[in-house]
Amino acid sequence: MARKPSPPADEGATLSFSRRSFLKTAGVGAAATTMVGVGAPTEAAQVLGPDAVTLSLKVNGTVQKVMVEPRVTLLDALRNHLDLTGAKQVCDRGGCGACTVLFDGQPVNSCLLLAADAEGHEITTVEGLGTPEKMSPLQAAFVEKDAMQCGFCTPGFVVSGTALLAKVPSPTLDQIKAGLAGNLCRCGTYGRVFEAVQAAAKAKRG
Amino acid sequence: MAQEEKAKEPAVTFTAKAGLIADPKPMEVHASVGDIKPWDADDWPRFEHVGKPRPRVEAPLKVTGRAKYTYDVKLPGMLYGRMVGAEIPAGEILSIDVSKAEALAGVKAVWTTDSRIVRFAGQDVAAVAAVSPEIAMDAARLVKVAYKERAFTHELRAAMKEDAALVYDLDKSPAGRGVPRKGNVVGPGGGPSGRGDVLKGFAEAEVVHEGTYYCPVHTHSCLETHGVVAGWEGDQLTVHTSTQGIFAVREGLAEALGIDRKNVRVLCEHMGGGFGSKLGPSASGSAFAMVACRLAKKAGAPVKLMLDRKQDQLCTGNAPSALMTVKVGARKDGTITAVHYKCWGSAGIAGGAGTAGPVGALHGKNPNLKVESYDVYTNAGPAAPLRAPGHSQGAFGIESAVDELADKLGMDPLELRKKNEASPVRLAQYDPGAKEIGWERRNKKAGDMSTGGLGPAKGAKKRGIGMANGNWYVFASDNSNAQVRIHRDGSVELVSGCQDIGTGYRTAMAVVAAEELGIAPADVTMRLGDTQFPEGPSSGGSVTTNSMAPVVRLAAHQARTKLFALAAPLLGVTPEELGAANGKIFVAKDKTKAVTFKQAAAKMSGETIDCLEKRGKQFETFRGDLAGTQFAEVEVDTETGEVRVIKMVSVNDCGLPLNPLTVQNQVIGAMIQGASWALLENRILDRNIGTMVNPNLEWYKILAPGDMFEAKSILTPVANLGNNTSVAGIGEPPIVPTLAVIANAVHNAIGVRIRELPITPDRVLAALAEAKRRA
Repeated sequence: MARKPSPPADEGATLSFSRRSFLKTAGVGAAATTMVGVGAPTEAAQVLGPDAVTLSLKVNGTVQKVMVEPRVTLLDALRNHLDLTGAKQVCDRGGCGACTVLFDGQPVNSCLLLAADAEGHEITTVEGLGTPEKMSPLQAAFVEKDAMQCGFCTPGFVVSGTALLAKVPSPTLDQIKAGLAGNLCRCGTYGRVFEAVQAAAKAKRG
Repeated sequence: MAQEEKAKEPAVTFTAKAGLIADPKPMEVHASVGDIKPWDADDWPRFEHVGKPRPRVEAPLKVTGRAKYTYDVKLPGMLYGRMVGAEIPAGEILSIDVSKAEALAGVKAVWTTDSRIVRFAGQDVAAVAAVSPEIAMDAARLVKVAYKERAFTHELRAAMKEDAALVYDLDKSPAGRGVPRKGNVVGPGGGPSGRGDVLKGFAEAEVVHEGTYYCPVHTHSCLETHGVVAGWEGDQLTVHTSTQGIFAVREGLAEALGIDRKNVRVLCEHMGGGFGSKLGPSASGSAFAMVACRLAKKAGAPVKLMLDRKQDQLCTGNAPSALMTVKVGARKDGTITAVHYKCWGSAGIAGGAGTAGPVGALHGKNPNLKVESYDVYTNAGPAAPLRAPGHSQGAFGIESAVDELADKLGMDPLELRKKNEASPVRLAQYDPGAKEIGWERRNKKAGDMSTGGLGPAKGAKKRGIGMANGNWYVFASDNSNAQVRIHRDGSVELVSGCQDIGTGYRTAMAVVAAEELGIAPADVTMRLGDTQFPEGPSSGGSVTTNSMAPVVRLAAHQARTKLFALAAPLLGVTPEELGAANGKIFVAKDKTKAVTFKQAAAKMSGETIDCLEKRGKQFETFRGDLAGTQFAEVEVDTETGEVRVIKMVSVNDCGLPLNPLTVQNQVIGAMIQGASWALLENRILDRNIGTMVNPNLEWYKILAPGDMFEAKSILTPVANLGNNTSVAGIGEPPIVPTLAVIANAVHNAIGVRIRELPITPDRVLAALAEAKRRA
């Protein structure tokens, strides 16, 4: 599964997929021509494709239809079909966190998730967390602490940090490092990112 | 670019306070006619905006995912391109069969290379454009290439052997005629030429150290891969690209496509990291941008062509490997009398792998220096400048060697460096850095934690503290133009094409314009990243701020002068009696007599005051070089071999720092990137098949959040008077010492020297075992 590392304090929060459904997805994903819907309530396998299919994705609170080949990842569906380009493809194999989105509140690497698997789930992208005019407290803290340079990794860090603070409102430095462990930055802004997460946590405590 | 290029006659002369802010001295400088008196040490405490920490203006767009990068551009009818790279490291292309790719539904255009020689795996062979990225990927897989393979050489030391396969036949070397070449080895040449007489110097030496040091190839690993979106309207070409030089892209594409520059428009609003690899029209080892333009022409639709991560690792540049033999001699009191530096580097199929820059600049009191520098060809993608090219490697060589010399002399490495220091700026940097790291706590005997303040050791974990120096230069481009436009309603635009590569550049320029105009930086809207705007430099050599800040100030100054002419009659004084600050224009002698900026602007006769200026020449400067010193505390687990950085301190000079918040972000980022090189990064080519073993970000490891340490940046403001703002660049200097600092700290912790990077657990354990065996 595309699940990202969790902070030490994270307990009990799990995705609703069974190991079996994960294996099914992995198998047909590799075949790339047909796929089995997972996350569906029944165990009956539903075969999609190879042609484009219409999917209903609930993104940032709004249900939208996209027509994509079943092999299209959630990341590509968001970027190429819904014009939500905040999440980035950097490593394309779950190693860098730049594509992080919230999946029913959990941070996931959207490059490792098929769009079809996102049907019936709540997807939140960085765009759904705030706007330049009305930023979330964490986004505002990133600005204040200058927790970015080129900014390409920043959306991923903002989403991972948001997920961390939802679970651990007052994280220690080690918990912050663990919560952001799946995200890479090349400009070297980690320290500033940690400061931003701490500042947002402090602001919330008041 | 010109280092310390002096103003040509005619000139105007200014006297200003130069040097370290704490200890300035009057200095006379000569500026181009029309230029203005430089900001100096007296101005520093008076600034309203310069030198004050300020969040970057584009930050809200970046944190909310609204900042649009090339990778995010989507145009109506846009096709998706995909490159196909060579799968072998050396040989000949016999045929490229694109028939199946062309026949695939949804494929709109195909390109194939004219070149038949393959010299590295990943070299451009073919490309496709299709209606979706998925179809483009299918089509790329359908391209069939037949090769005749040839023997290859994959690595520097292997390539230096006499029986190594030749990357270039002897008559086909890209090195200039007359440059000596033996096998794959070219040289000696390049780098500082040396000084004095090393034979005499070594004869005077009482203690000599000689050592060999090695750095592997690093890749840039920019998070936004290289790529473009190219589209034609008639003969007009518009290209969105992730670049460090929009004007260089315009020139390069116009030349490659045989069209006029006026017909090419290049745009880059935000870009996801370059570090030197995005200076050309495409990349050092690929012509993807030109290919995308051709595909777009053929298909009659815009084409987006982004390289994937693997391609980016193979063909978009890298930092050359470096093998350095350093001999350094000194008197017993620590006076260095001679340095002989011999280095070999491999920039893959390219040249330019020299690393001798720091050797020429550090320990400046040493009178005798000899440098021999060789390039070695390997069958790997051509290198590209990577953040202070060659300097981190060179500093690793010389600063490791000087540390080893200190050990032999029984001298404090900091005292040894102070003794041989020629830079007054670095002399002032040592003590603040040493204090911040707690230098006195280091192990007085390396590896023995009972000899300093770091102990006692926690189980197998041992700590150590090290230091090293770095140098860099003051480069500036005269081809720097800026336009300041004040509208009748008092709103202000600053227009200049030069791109912002993520350094905080646009914020710094707003600060400069605002300081001069006496308004808030937030009230200056900067328009950039478009070749239709006035021309600016490529962002390489830490040149951007140093080039652009003076012309931005000059343009703002001219606009202010025009505004003062409008304000003076309102206040019943002459323009010369006015000042500007805090959104007001006032009589300098009586600040209560004032009009607002907007009131003055409303008096203009037309709709705008528009001032376009070109940068003047660089003045004589207080220093033509940039000093820096760094310190690190590390912890080494002697059971697992793991090295963790605990804390790093960097002390740097970038003239007058315009915005310390973004400047220090860059300094800290350089330490992090440098620590990543020192401990993790290593591009590995398979010796059997010549392709990259780790062409990703999973096995090509870069430093991650869990590896983070405390990083502290200390700036030493210097009124260098090199231009009218006294600024200099900072992107590159702070990464120069970092490899050596960490290696020296590791030695202080465990008492064993690691001379080959990266300092991985296996190397630490092997070095410890070897030391134990010898003991």
